Amino acid sequence: MDKIPLLKAMKHDRWVKPFLKRYKWTLVLAITLGIITFICASGLMFTAGYLISKSATMPFNILLVYVPIVLTRAFGIFRPVTNYFERLASHNWVFKMTSAFRKKLYDSLEQDAVFFNSKYRIGDILGLLSEDVAHIQNLYLRTIFPMLVAFGIYALIVIGMGIISPLMGLLMLILFGLIIIAIPVWSVLVNGARQQLEKQYTNTLYADLTDNVMGITDWVFAGRSADYLQHYNKSEHHLLASQKAMKRFEHWRDFVLQAMILLIVVSLIVWGAARFGGHWGGSANWIAAFVLCVFPLDEVLSSLPTAAQQTNVYADSLKRLNNLPQPAEPSKVNIEIAAPYTLKITDLHYRYPKTEKMVLRGINLDINPGEKVAILGRSGAGKSTLASLIRGDRTPTSGAVTLNEVPTDKFGDEISNYIGIVHQSPYLFNTTILNNIRLGSEDASEEQVWEVLDRVGLAPMIKRLPKELHTMVDEAGLRFSGGERHRLSLARILLKDAPIILLDEPTVGLDPLTEEKVIETFMEQLHGKTLIWITHHLQGIEMMDQVVFIENGQISMQGSPAELQETNQHYRMLKKADEGN
Amino acid sequence: MIRLVGLYVLQAFLILGQGLSLAALLTGLWQGHTLLSQVYWLIGFIVCYLLRHGLTEVGNGWLDRYSSVAAQNFRQQLLKKVFELGPVIVQREGTGNMVTLALDGIKEVENYIQLIYSKVISMMIIPVLLLIACFWLDWISGVVMLLVYPLIVLFMIILGYAAKAKADRQFAAFQVLSNHFIDSLRGIDTLKYFGLSKRYSRSIYRSSEQFRKSTMSVIKVAMLSTFALDFFTTLAIAVLAVFLGLRLINGHLLLFPALAILILAPEYFLPIRNFASDYHATLNGRNSFHAVLKILNMPLPKKPVVKLHQWSDNDQLIFDDIKFTYPHEGSELANLNLTVKGYQKIGIIGMSGAGKTTLINLLSGFLAPTTGKINIQGQEVATLDINNWQKQILYIPQTPYIFADTLKNNIAFYTPDVSEDRIKEAIHVVGLDDLVAELPQGLLTMIGSGHRALSGGQAQRIALARAFLDPSRKVMIFDEPTAHLDIETELELKKRMIPLMENRLVFFATHRLHWMKQMDHILVLKNGKLIEQGTYQQLLDKQGYFVELMNQTKGKETAHG
Repeated sequence: MDKIPLLKAMKHDRWVKPFLKRYKWTLVLAITLGIITFICASGLMFTAGYLISKSATMPFNILLVYVPIVLTRAFGIFRPVTNYFERLASHNWVFKMTSAFRKKLYDSLEQDAVFFNSKYRIGDILGLLSEDVAHIQNLYLRTIFPMLVAFGIYALIVIGMGIISPLMGLLMLILFGLIIIAIPVWSVLVNGARQQLEKQYTNTLYADLTDNVMGITDWVFAGRSADYLQHYNKSEHHLLASQKAMKRFEHWRDFVLQAMILLIVVSLIVWGAARFGGHWGGSANWIAAFVLCVFPLDEVLSSLPTAAQQTNVYADSLKRLNNLPQPAEPSKVNIEIAAPYTLKITDLHYRYPKTEKMVLRGINLDINPGEKVAILGRSGAGKSTLASLIRGDRTPTSGAVTLNEVPTDKFGDEISNYIGIVHQSPYLFNTTILNNIRLGSEDASEEQVWEVLDRVGLAPMIKRLPKELHTMVDEAGLRFSGGERHRLSLARILLKDAPIILLDEPTVGLDPLTEEKVIETFMEQLHGKTLIWITHHLQGIEMMDQVVFIENGQISMQGSPAELQETNQHYRMLKKADEGN
Repeated sequence: MIRLVGLYVLQAFLILGQGLSLAALLTGLWQGHTLLSQVYWLIGFIVCYLLRHGLTEVGNGWLDRYSSVAAQNFRQQLLKKVFELGPVIVQREGTGNMVTLALDGIKEVENYIQLIYSKVISMMIIPVLLLIACFWLDWISGVVMLLVYPLIVLFMIILGYAAKAKADRQFAAFQVLSNHFIDSLRGIDTLKYFGLSKRYSRSIYRSSEQFRKSTMSVIKVAMLSTFALDFFTTLAIAVLAVFLGLRLINGHLLLFPALAILILAPEYFLPIRNFASDYHATLNGRNSFHAVLKILNMPLPKKPVVKLHQWSDNDQLIFDDIKFTYPHEGSELANLNLTVKGYQKIGIIGMSGAGKTTLINLLSGFLAPTTGKINIQGQEVATLDINNWQKQILYIPQTPYIFADTLKNNIAFYTPDVSEDRIKEAIHVVGLDDLVAELPQGLLTMIGSGHRALSGGQAQRIALARAFLDPSRKVMIFDEPTAHLDIETELELKKRMIPLMENRLVFFATHRLHWMKQMDHILVLKNGKLIEQGTYQQLLDKQGYFVELMNQTKGKETAHG
C-alpha cells in the first residue's frame, strides 16, 4: 500500500478525512444521487431492451408492455435530473468543505504569521498552498466521488447478479473488480513513478526557465541567447520522453479496460443464452435487457484509471498541507500594565532554532518612555532579529526583553496594544482605503480616519479620488507610490495609538528626498511616543536621541548623534559619505 | 490529417458492424436459436468491438505525436521570439506570465489541438454515417434522431449564453472574493501586528461561504447546458425505445432493425457528448493560442546595420534632441542633448521618476527613441539596439541577476571559456574571497534561487567580477547599483568599483550623491528633462537643482546649520 503515494500521504492525514465526516449527509446525498444516475442509465437500456424484445412478440394487448414503457420513460427523465442534482450536491459539498479548509489553512499559518515573509513567501509557497486547496477540491470531485459511486454500483451489480445466479455474481465480482480496483491500482503503480518524474522535470523546467527569463538581460548582453535555447531543448527532451512513455501506457491500459468490458458483455451473452435461450416469446426477452445495460457503465468505468492516476499529483499537495503546523489552541493571557512604558533589554542572546551561530551576543539596552533610538548595522548584523525579539515574536535564547518588567514574548497578541510596527513593504489589502486604515482601530469613525490621513499628509490626495475613502486600493489604476504606502501605513499606526513604535527599515528603496520627507512626517507625528528605528544608513539620524550600532551581534557604538559626531571617527566618515561629501 | 479522417470513417463502420452484429446476435437468440448457431455474429461483434477501440487508441497515439511536435515547435518559436524581443517584453508582460505561457499555455494549446482534431472531426463524421445507417434500418427513427440533434445544439447555445451572462454579471464580485483568501494570507503578518489575525479567521470562512453561494448560483445555470444535452439525448433514446416498441406490437417493424437502432442511438449521441464535456478545455486552449500568436506576431525592432569597433578613447556618442514617449502616457524624456567622449565617467542623477531608467534603457538599446538622432562613432543610427554595441556593454543593475548555477558559471557568464586562475583572480579583486572560503564546494557551489542565497553586496561583487573578466567590454552601465545596500557595504564596494571603471566609458545612474565626485561629467534629470549637466565643480558653482538636491539630502539640521 505504501507504493501508492496518495494512500501514504493519507496515513497521518488531517486534511481530507476529517472533512469527509464533516458534512456527512450532503456527502451521502451526492454519492447516492451519483449511483442513482447510473442505475437510471443502465435501467433505461435494460427496460428498453426488454420492451423491444417483448413488443416484438406482438402481444395482443398494449397493457402487457405498459410497465416497461413507463419505466423506460421514467429512467429516461430521471437520469439527466439526478445527474444534474448530483453535480450540484457534490459541488456544493466541495465548496462547503473548501470554506472550512481555507479557515484551517489560515489558522495553521497564523501562528507563524510574523515570520511568514521569510518562511513562506520564498518561491511563492503561498501560491502553491492556495493551489493545493484547488487540488484537494479536484481530488474530491474527480477521484473520490467517482470512486465511491463506482464502488456503490459495483456492490449493487454483484449483489443483484448474485441473487439471480451465484456463479454469475462471482464472475461479476472478479471482472468488475479488475476494472474498478486492479486496473486503477496498476495504473497508479506503473505511471505513478513516471508521473512523479514528469512532475520533477516540469518543476525543473519551470525553475530553469523562470531563472533564465529573469536573467534575460544578461543573456542578451552576453550575446548567448542561442546557447540558452539549445540548453532548453536539451532539458525538455527528458520530459517529452517520459510523457511519451506515459501516454503509450495509457493507450494500452484503456484498450485493456475496453477488452474487460467486452468480456463482461460476452459473458452476459453466453450466460443469457444458456439461461433464457430457446424460449421464444418467453424468457428470451431478457437476453437483450441484460446485455444492453452494460454499455452505459462505460462512462463511469473508463474514467477511473485516469482519476486514480491523478492522485499522484494530489499526494504532494496533501503532504505539503499535512506538514503545516497544527493550529494552536488560543490561549488567553491577561496582562495589565500601565504607562509609562519602559523597555529593557538585558544580556540578550539569540540563536535561531537548529542553528549553531549566535546572532545576538549580549545586547544591553534601556529604552525610556518617549525616547527615540536608532539601531544601525549592516544587513545580516541581527537588526531584524532584534526587532522581532523586542516585539516578543521570538523568545530569547538567554537574557530578556521586558516591557515594564514583563517579558515581551508573554504578551501574545496583546502586544499589539503596546508596540506598533511599520516595516519595509507595508501591505495594503485589496479592499477600500477606509478598511485598510481601520485595521488600526476597527471602530474608528470616518472623521477619525480623515484626521489621521490629514496628519500623514494624504488627505488632499484621497479627497481627489472619485470615491474618496471608499476607493479600492487597486482600483482604476490607482497606485500608491512607495512614499504614499508608508504614509498609509503610518496612518494605521496612528489610529492604533500604541505607545511604542518600531520602524523596521521603513524607507529602503525610496529616493533621498522622498525618504527625508517621509522620515520627517514620521518623527513629527510620532512625537511623544517611544520610537525604535532600525535603519541602514544615516539619513535623518539627527532627529534621534540615541544611536546604537550593531556589529556581529554586539553593540559596537552607542551615544547621541551629537556625541558620536564629536568623538567617533567611523561615525563621522559614514555620515559624510551618506551626505554625499 | 487525412489519415485521421480515414481512421474515423473506418471507425464509424466498425461501430456499425459492432451494433449490427450485436443486434443480429440478440435477435437470433431471441428467436430461440442456440448460441452456437449464432457464433459468427458473436465473433463479428467481438472483432468489430476490439478493432474499434484499438483504432481509437491508434488515433490517439497519432494525435499525441502530432500535437506534441506542434507544441514543441510552438514553444521554440515563442522562446526564440522572447529572447529576440529582449527584456522590454519581459518587463511588460511579467516574468511569471511569460513562463506560464511558454509552459502551461502551450500545454493547453497542445490539448486544444488534440481535442479539436479528435472530437471535432469525429463529431462531424461518425454521427453522419450512423444516421445514414439508421435511415436505412428504419427511416422514421432516422427522422427522430435527425430532429433531436439541432434541438440539442440550440438549447446548449441558449443555456450557455444565459450562464455566461449570469457569470459575467457576477464576475467582479467573484474576483474580489476569490482573491480575498490569498490576499489575507499575504497580509497575515500585518494582521498579526495589529492583533487582528485570530479574529480574521472567521472572516475567511464567512467570505468563502459567500463565495460558495454565489458560485453555486452560477453553477446552477451553467450546468443547465449539460443538463439539456443529457436530457435530450437520454430522452431521445427513451422515446425511440417506446416508439419502436409500439410499432413492433403493431407489426410495422422487425426486431433486428429495432434493436440495431436502440444500440446505435447512444453511439450517435456520444461524439457530441464528448465534445461538450471538453468544451471548456478548448476555450482555455484557444485563449492561450491567441496569447502565443500575439507575441509571435509582434514586429521585431529594426536593428541598425552599422559596423562598430571596440570603444576607444577618441570615440564619440552624441544624442541630438532625443525624445522618448511611452505609449499611452505623457512625455517621459525630452530635449535630450548629450555628447560623450572616450573613457568618460558619466554620472546620472535624479529622483525616482526623473527618467534615469529610461535614459539607461535608451543607452543600452532596449528602448528606441521616439524622435531625435543618435550618432555613434560618426555614424547616424535610429537606436542603440546594435549587436556590436551591446556586446561591448557591461550592465550592472540594482540587483544583478544571479542564475541558479555554480558560483563559477555565474562569474564567468560573459566569458564562459575563461581559465580558473583568472576566475580566482577576479574573486580576489572584487573581494569575494571570504564568501568562497565559506562555501562548502568552493567555486562549484550552487547559488541563486533555490540554492544558497547571496546578499545584495555579494551579488554586486559577482557582477563586478564579470566586468573584470571581460576587459574587451569597454562600456559600463550602472543602474542604481547601491540603492539597497547599507552605507558601510556601499563604501567598501565603491573601493572595488572605481578601479574597474578605468579605461571604460561609464554611465552611472544613482541617487546617492557621494558617487558624483568620482564622475567626469554629471547629468541631472528632473521630471524627464535634462536640466543641468557639467562637472561636479561646475554644478556646485552653478548653485542650481544639483546643489538643492545635495542640501536636501543632508537633512534638516545640517541644511540649516
